[in-house]
Amino acid sequence: MSQLSDGQAEVVQGGVQSRPASGMRLPRLYLAGVVSVLGGLLLWEVVSRFLVANALFLAAPSQIFSAILALAKSGELWRHMSISAIEFALGYAIASVLGVMIGFAMAESATMKRALQPWVSGLYATPTIALAPLFILWLGIGIWSKVLVVIFLVLFPVTINTEAGLRTTSERLIEMLRSFGASPRQIFFKVSLPSAVPFILAGLKLGIGRGLIGVVVAELFGSRAGLGRLIAQSADAFNMPELFAGVIVLAVAGIMLTAGFGWLENRLVPWTKD
Amino acid sequence: MARKLQVSHLGKTFGELRALQDINLAVERGEFIALVGPSGCGKTTFLRIVAGLEPASSGEVTLDGRAVRSPGADRGFVFQSDNLLPWRTVFANAIIGREVAGHVGPAERQRTMELLKLVGLEGFEHYHPRQLSGGMRQRVNLARALAIDPQILLMDEPFSSLDAQTREIMQTELMRIWETGRKTVLFVTHQIDEAVFLADRVFVFARRPGRLRENVAIELPRPRALAIKRTAEFVRYVDHIWRLIEDDVRASVIEEKV
Ligand SMILES: Nc1ncnc2c1ncn2[C@@H]1O[C@H](COP(=O)(O)OP(=O)(O)OP(=O)(O)O)[C@@H](O)[C@H]1O
Ligand SMILES: [Mg+2]
Repeated sequence: MSQLSDGQAEVVQGGVQSRPASGMRLPRLYLAGVVSVLGGLLLWEVVSRFLVANALFLAAPSQIFSAILALAKSGELWRHMSISAIEFALGYAIASVLGVMIGFAMAESATMKRALQPWVSGLYATPTIALAPLFILWLGIGIWSKVLVVIFLVLFPVTINTEAGLRTTSERLIEMLRSFGASPRQIFFKVSLPSAVPFILAGLKLGIGRGLIGVVVAELFGSRAGLGRLIAQSADAFNMPELFAGVIVLAVAGIMLTAGFGWLENRLVPWTKD
Repeated sequence: MARKLQVSHLGKTFGELRALQDINLAVERGEFIALVGPSGCGKTTFLRIVAGLEPASSGEVTLDGRAVRSPGADRGFVFQSDNLLPWRTVFANAIIGREVAGHVGPAERQRTMELLKLVGLEGFEHYHPRQLSGGMRQRVNLARALAIDPQILLMDEPFSSLDAQTREIMQTELMRIWETGRKTVLFVTHQIDEAVFLADRVFVFARRPGRLRENVAIELPRPRALAIKRTAEFVRYVDHIWRLIEDDVRASVIEEKV
């Protein structure tokens, strides 16, 4: 294991040197995005106030914003968010560990790969989210049925990417290490694993969006609390501002997690960014 | 001088293809040997067999009297493409052979630092490969092979991706480095002038099947300056070797076009 952590320390070290040029261009990069988002919100506000003008169909951003504030003040928002966050975090963590492990197993053993490949490919392509009602029947309406949905959605992209990353390790790099008399184990830790890290991270990134969708949809099918619950009960009460509040909170969570991940990638695998 | 490398009746086939046939040669300790020949005559295959990366189909390769079967720390391979690990610094790349051997102490670090200095990379130890030029990357490639202090250096067209000027500089640098340690070197190249400039002897290979055609001793005084390339004697060697492989090269070029 010490070799593994060595490898990681080295990877992190690699990230310390960032290119100065990107720092200069950031404000301009953000400018177009900020203008576009603000413009979109403005358009939305205008359309919902003057064109649709019916709170049953569309809520204006200003109304959504006050709904979020009200929910936050009453503590409701926090209650729903924390439940969803726990479900997501548990499912995501379990799926990441399992996914990387299964990916390793498939890359290491051809038999393992042949045995698991149909399941992985099949379940990756299946909208397993449709099984959420079944999981709720099995595990009840508590958090574990949602955790299971998240696991199903996140596991397979991570597995597929881990396996692909290990499998596509450059033959020339392996040969270089072999010329020094390296053992298969050394080749794995010094070449295959580090060169699979960008792939693994890409799989984990893909899992964020899928996992968030999983949490919410599973909660819609049956739950006591969570952002999906909030959205469902707002819809039942035709409370559009609160419905949108739930959606917006989710969107912000997704954006922040993905952005955080991008930042992590820049630090961990800077050599893939050229 | 002691015999370093002995190759007897070496043959290699890939399925139907006879890549190498009945190669017999001997290399003395400290000799600089260049290998030239048309594309596809088996130079890389020969080097890989000596490195232990590829098994021979017949015959034998012995290093210091011991048969070669697998890669080992007594041989350092300098690859055509630098094969640097992009996530490692120059220093971490250069020391990887020592790491594989399982002992990286202060002495090994010290030696690796000295080697990086020797190949002209002092001050670049903490750079990453993507921050280096092609010439600098090949210097790391060379330092990495030297870092294990091998008995014999195997170099497969190490300068072929470099521009003409960088290439000439690398040739003189390699000569300077070689003079400091006098390691046994097998150096594959397509540039005949590079072979003549660097080598004590040039092994000329022929193709279909790949075999050793002639062994040309280069009796030019050392140390050699780049200016030697313009002397009549130098040009005579180049002409002689070129005539040996000319027909073969024509044949291989025509074949590759088809
Ligand atoms: N692993 C392999 N499997 C099948 N054939 C191979 C393999 N390696 C090399 N060969 C064949 O053996 C022959 C010799 O190849 P080799 O790479 O040794 O030539 P070379 O002299 O190094 O050529 P070049 O100058 O172009 O690098 C070629 O015909 C090549 O196609
Ligand atoms: Mg070759």
